[in-house]
Amino acid sequence: MNNIWTLLPIVFVLTGSLLVLLLEVFIQRETKDYLGFVSLMFLVLSGAACVTFWNKGYSYFNGDLFLDKLALFLSLLFIIGTALIILISMKYLSLQNTNYGEYYSLLLFALIGTLIMVSSTDLIIIFLGLEVLSMSSYALAGLKRNDEKSGEAALKYFLLGSFASAFLIYGIAFLYGTSKSTEIFSIIDHFQAVSSQSILVIAGFGLLIIGFGFKIAVVPFHMWTPDVYQGSPTPITAFFSVLPKAAGFAVLLRLFGPYFGQITQSQNIFMVLWFLSVLTMVAGNLLALRQKNIKRLLAYSSIAHAGYLMIAVLAKSHYSLVFYLTVYLFMNIGAFSAVIALSKKDKEYLQLKDYAGIGFRYPWIGATLSIFLLSLAGFPPTGGFLAKFYVFSEAVSQDLVPLVVIGVLASLISVFYYLRVIVYMYMREPSTPFEIDTNNAPLVLVLFICLYGVIQLGIYPGNVLLFIKQAVASLPF
Amino acid sequence: MNIPILSIITFLPAAGSLLFIFINRKQKNLIRYTALFIGIINFILSLFLFFQFSGQTGDPQFVEKAEWMGYGIQYHIGIDGISLLLVLLTTFLMPIVILSSWNSIQEKVKEYHIFMLLLVTGILGVFVSLNLFLFYVFWEAMLIPMYFLIGIWGGKRKIYATLKFVIFTMFGSLLMLVAIFALYSIFYKTAGSYSFNLFDYYQLVLNPNIQIWLFLAFGLAFAIKVPMFPFHTWLPDAHVEAPTAGSVILAGVLLKMGTYGFLRFALPLFPDAAKKFIPYLAALSLIGIIYGALMALIQKDVKSLVAYSSVSHMGLIMLAVFALNLESLEGAVYQMLNHGLSTGALFLCVGILYERAHTRLIKDYGGVSRQMPVFAAFFLICMLSSVGLPGLNGFVGEVLCLFGIFQSSKLLAILGVSTIILGAAYLLWMYQRVMQGPLENKKIMTFKDLNKREIGFLVPIIILMFFMGIFPRPFLRKMDASVHKLLNQIHRSETYFVDKETAIIIPESASGIESDSQIKEKGIESENNE
Repeated sequence: MNNIWTLLPIVFVLTGSLLVLLLEVFIQRETKDYLGFVSLMFLVLSGAACVTFWNKGYSYFNGDLFLDKLALFLSLLFIIGTALIILISMKYLSLQNTNYGEYYSLLLFALIGTLIMVSSTDLIIIFLGLEVLSMSSYALAGLKRNDEKSGEAALKYFLLGSFASAFLIYGIAFLYGTSKSTEIFSIIDHFQAVSSQSILVIAGFGLLIIGFGFKIAVVPFHMWTPDVYQGSPTPITAFFSVLPKAAGFAVLLRLFGPYFGQITQSQNIFMVLWFLSVLTMVAGNLLALRQKNIKRLLAYSSIAHAGYLMIAVLAKSHYSLVFYLTVYLFMNIGAFSAVIALSKKDKEYLQLKDYAGIGFRYPWIGATLSIFLLSLAGFPPTGGFLAKFYVFSEAVSQDLVPLVVIGVLASLISVFYYLRVIVYMYMREPSTPFEIDTNNAPLVLVLFICLYGVIQLGIYPGNVLLFIKQAVASLPF
Repeated sequence: MNIPILSIITFLPAAGSLLFIFINRKQKNLIRYTALFIGIINFILSLFLFFQFSGQTGDPQFVEKAEWMGYGIQYHIGIDGISLLLVLLTTFLMPIVILSSWNSIQEKVKEYHIFMLLLVTGILGVFVSLNLFLFYVFWEAMLIPMYFLIGIWGGKRKIYATLKFVIFTMFGSLLMLVAIFALYSIFYKTAGSYSFNLFDYYQLVLNPNIQIWLFLAFGLAFAIKVPMFPFHTWLPDAHVEAPTAGSVILAGVLLKMGTYGFLRFALPLFPDAAKKFIPYLAALSLIGIIYGALMALIQKDVKSLVAYSSVSHMGLIMLAVFALNLESLEGAVYQMLNHGLSTGALFLCVGILYERAHTRLIKDYGGVSRQMPVFAAFFLICMLSSVGLPGLNGFVGEVLCLFGIFQSSKLLAILGVSTIILGAAYLLWMYQRVMQGPLENKKIMTFKDLNKREIGFLVPIIILMFFMGIFPRPFLRKMDASVHKLLNQIHRSETYFVDKETAIIIPESASGIESDSQIKEKGIESENNE
């Protein structure tokens, strides 16, 4: 049962993180790119460990930390995501004068947080992972020390994040108080046996929803998102928009999967999530319409996507949720990479009007960004379409038709603002021509990988879907 | 047959567009010739389809089927008599529109042709798909190149027009997607297996109450595309702002996707609901006919005049579709081809004028025929074809349509005839104001008559107009059996008693087609009508 190998993926990342901190002291400021490669090396090791453990089912700490197939799949996904983030960061950091060695170290710590979150069903362990993730995130958001916006982002994130953590731990306490356990399945079993729902249970789950709702940015707990996304260094924004969200949804899946499956009186919590989903989709998309800054636009877009993902949770369709997260990782990191590509020394071009004429000035960046945006909007034959397709189709088969109708209409709104970016890129005359630094090989690689991912997942998801289905089939509910 | 000819035809344009990545953007002529070459090859290949196609059976031919993503998502394509003709229309128009934009598109030539070829693949895909997933993919994917074509190479209000086009179309199609999911789920619950196969869905007999919702969702998507009366407002904007080639494709083929959708999906899948709604839909079509014609009469812009004439003509086609008998359906399909040719040709003519004068206002023209006699003749023929002069293609289609409509409702037929009268009015009046009369605008004095390229792309259309007007037989015979099968499918619900909560499956043999002799009988009947 207990197998120390369980810790291996985390240990690799941890070693990398600490080594980076150590090496950082000896390396000149100009050559800190090398630290990125060191981190990448350890990510590869950790990823390899995840791959080799696929069929092993290791667990440790008496089952509190385990590597079932879902955990492994998501871990691998997060490792790939972090690797992509590191690749797009290298040039960016020296261009924006934020090339501190701590950057890579903090990023790896944040990754460890997400790895812990997806590998446990004990709420305390999950909370632990969440805090590791959050603490590193607060620091990462404020890494552009000379930028007021970055400082604002860090402070906002920290204050609101601490509140959310408090809510979360409060909720866990309530659940522990009634069921004498912090382990999800014991809690569920307890409620099943008692079969009556005290106010404490509702309060407990309600507080949990608030805590996680903050992390995955569902309306009305989204207020921090646009400011934090705008202020943080752009690669970090890409990180925030994907990994914490995906990890949060993985926890929701583990929590509400058995909950909706086994507890008959789960109706009120179900309705709460239903309304949150509708609010998130509608408000996220409507607010995105007015944005003039691309990072804020993508922030609201990521809020809206949380709404679609929530549909998958409500439809109890685990594979469509995981597939959506997979596609979402590629298309969102891709979009942010294209945004990063449009920058030069000490200057980023983030206003929509800066994008006028980009499509013909830099055809490759324009074309790839267009494909990512079309994928986010859900046009076939991209991955974004198939992701929405699976989620909505599963929801219809669970008789959630009104929710799906609201969902598709909300995504119609989203088409408008995604296409508006493309309108700027291709259909407006360029305002003031500017030069960008195009000599950025790692970023081109990331654009290519993301493009490949988005198209492959849209046209023939084949094996990926197969692995996802295996992963969710291993769940005990 | 081992060669996947239908796939080749569908994907050749898209594959060809990849070729452009390797061509330097400065070699504009090379790009144009390559695109034209691909277009012609594709047309020749589809001619092969036409001659190989057997009109004896209504089952899809040239079928290709392969597993794709599992869970009912298959790569399943094939054509029957109806889609055959629409595929042919698309491939016929493709080289023509490429030729027509030879001079008018001077900027971003490479991107223009890439989008044009992708668009053609999208449209062909819609017509050949037999799997609802595949169909939806093409249906949506086709929007992207059209969006760029209008948005980049369009007129002054291009951004407004192109966003309106996309948002309108997507509004309908997203609701249709929900309906497809519902069908998928119902099929799984009744049959126990996953399927997006159209023919599997044909065998579902659905509860009429569910049918109503599903029909409304499908119908809305197609009605917006056609466009039927209250949903038509995107069309004039899109037409006026689109470049000439875009307008030709839009009027020629894109609108047909809506009528095709009704014929292939909305009516046969939900026959009971369809019958409930047909009176209202027919009324809307009639309003569309008259409203479109009246709007066309008062337009000051030649292009929006032709655009409104499209609304009117598509109204007649829809009216014929909703009459649901052999003559009316054959007439509707035939008229779809005619409308594609004649309205496409009218847009080409307007484009030729626009290239010379850079204005589309009717009042800026007058007396053009003196300066451009050859063009005047071509324009006249195209216009008369659209009016429905006997001997030209429009006549056959309109008469068949009206004949069919008359069988189901005399009142509708009488009112529907107004399309011909009003059509003659606005088109002839437009011709008079533009081509004849005193030559007042000095700019027109400098006009040159058609060059070889322009004659080159107008002549095939004119020839086909005459051919389809005089010998409609080869085209009608190709679709007889398919239309029969369609009618059987639509009228099938009357023979089954439906009482289940959701749906029941009926055996496949029950929905067979009529025997050959019956088809021949009806075929002779429809010939007499010509």
